[in-house]
Amino acid sequence: MKTLTISKNHRTVCIAMMAIGVLSLLATFFGADDELHTRFWTNFLHNSVFFTGIALMALFFMAASITAWAGWYVVFKRVWEAFSLFLPVGLVLMVIVAIGNYVGYHHLYHWSDPESVANDALLQGKSGFLNDNWYLLSTLIIGGLWYFLARKIRSLSLAEDEQGENSFEHHRKMRIYAAAALPIVGFTSAAMIWQWVMSIDPHWYSTLFAWYTAASWFVAMICITILIILYLKAQGYFENFNRDHLHDLGKLLFAFSIFWTYLWFSQYMLIWYGNVGEETGYFLTRIKDYPILFYGNLLINFALPFLVLLRNSTKRRNGTMIFVAVVVFLGHWMDIFQLIKPGALHTAHELAGHAHDGAAAEHGTSVTGFIFPHILELGTLIGFVGLFLFVVLTILSKASLEPAKDPYLQESLHHHV
Amino acid sequence: MATKNKEILFGIYSDEEELLHAVHKANDAHLVIWDVFSPFPVHGMDEALHLSESRLHIVGFIFGLLGTLTAFLGMTWIFTSDWPIIFGGKPYWSIPAFIPITFELTVLFSSIGMVVVFYTISGMGPGVTNPTLHDRITDDKFCIAFDASNLSEEEIDKRESFLKDSGAEEISTKVI
Repeated sequence: MKTLTISKNHRTVCIAMMAIGVLSLLATFFGADDELHTRFWTNFLHNSVFFTGIALMALFFMAASITAWAGWYVVFKRVWEAFSLFLPVGLVLMVIVAIGNYVGYHHLYHWSDPESVANDALLQGKSGFLNDNWYLLSTLIIGGLWYFLARKIRSLSLAEDEQGENSFEHHRKMRIYAAAALPIVGFTSAAMIWQWVMSIDPHWYSTLFAWYTAASWFVAMICITILIILYLKAQGYFENFNRDHLHDLGKLLFAFSIFWTYLWFSQYMLIWYGNVGEETGYFLTRIKDYPILFYGNLLINFALPFLVLLRNSTKRRNGTMIFVAVVVFLGHWMDIFQLIKPGALHTAHELAGHAHDGAAAEHGTSVTGFIFPHILELGTLIGFVGLFLFVVLTILSKASLEPAKDPYLQESLHHHV
Repeated sequence: MATKNKEILFGIYSDEEELLHAVHKANDAHLVIWDVFSPFPVHGMDEALHLSESRLHIVGFIFGLLGTLTAFLGMTWIFTSDWPIIFGGKPYWSIPAFIPITFELTVLFSSIGMVVVFYTISGMGPGVTNPTLHDRITDDKFCIAFDASNLSEEEIDKRESFLKDSGAEEISTKVI
């Protein structure tokens, strides 16, 4: 069986990308004119949440596929296993944010500022859930649970390689863990999204928000799967990955882009129609201050994949799939950007107002990098992509790329759509 | 549709793998197959019969677009000039409120349009009788059929022996 060998070039490129990321993060940290370094912390949170989410969605979809007795994805299932094992790295990043809450490195979250909570009935009411202790604890407990499930599925999948022909023993165990992972990840991901992302605007809430963000993660996960597999295939790996597998990944990209749009619109329309002041404020900020991202979001993440991937033939061509995957990946990165930045900017302004009162509020934080991704935001993304690729390639190189004894391998080899 | 009666020579198979092999063999022997019948879609059969991709989805797209425009422009006209009503204090022309109906009419037009076009081009409709070659090809049997109307005795023999060699368990002719 073919095993991936990481060439020197791969390693150099990954490390160079990470170096760009570190430089960008340092530049945003030391270039800031506010003592809270809000730009640095929002960029850090944005990318950590994005890539942790991608890892989590890989685990979730693998669990769903195992539970559904699906076989088509087996030729490239190592890629999703490797994604899911990015979880510990992502969780370390999230724990840094959580510890930052404690120590007061940053003020990303309005609810973690004691002075604000003391004067705010809404924040007091939510403080049972939104507090520093629970933020750290749930990140550790729930994140640990995710990592345990990912680790378990991976080790059972590796154990299959050692088993005799026609053995179903490990797969049966895998089904139990996969079936357990579905509700666990399904419910806990919502709780983590509320804390990590939605609580940046702590006065606002939406019951659809968790699904919406998870759908965004999922689409990004499919995009990066397509890109990594097509790249490795061009390098001579994954010789059994063919047009039919690509077609199915394209269908998932298409379908979940529409699913994301459905959630986006459902959330927007209910708030627009209900017209309750405390809910509409969220969209008002985004439409007024972030018009390009707000409308561009729909163009890039709905109109483009919908119109391009509607045809049968575009889903079977490398060129169109790479184009859509790259654009939609960036689109969902910018989607998370506009979920995080406006609220964090608002909080920073408010805290600066507390400290210096009055006019200083407007000048408390540099606005560069908040309204639209700036070059340093892109640099940070490159760094995180480098980190993600480095971890994924390292894990891929540790096992054969094709699970030789998976009971569904033959189904996957003869996959035909 | 005016159809001239055809004399069809056909063989019945009981397994789709056998059927697919037989079609490949017929292609290799340059025997032109008139049609193949199967109770369910067989993977690889479209390629084996050199069928081009269906263009029905283009019809679906056009009808869908028609539905989108009908709904959106229709509501625009109704709610801005024909019978303007204020709902919940929203402007007359409220795009978000139009989206669900636009979506629904897009799906409705697209699906009905495709059904109507499919029935029309297939010559199906109320009162049309459909001659079947064999009762069990809609159940559990598979069939390869040759058009034998204008074939010489020798060529018919060739096809018959091909059917026999490739595993057909029943061979007969029928005029439809």
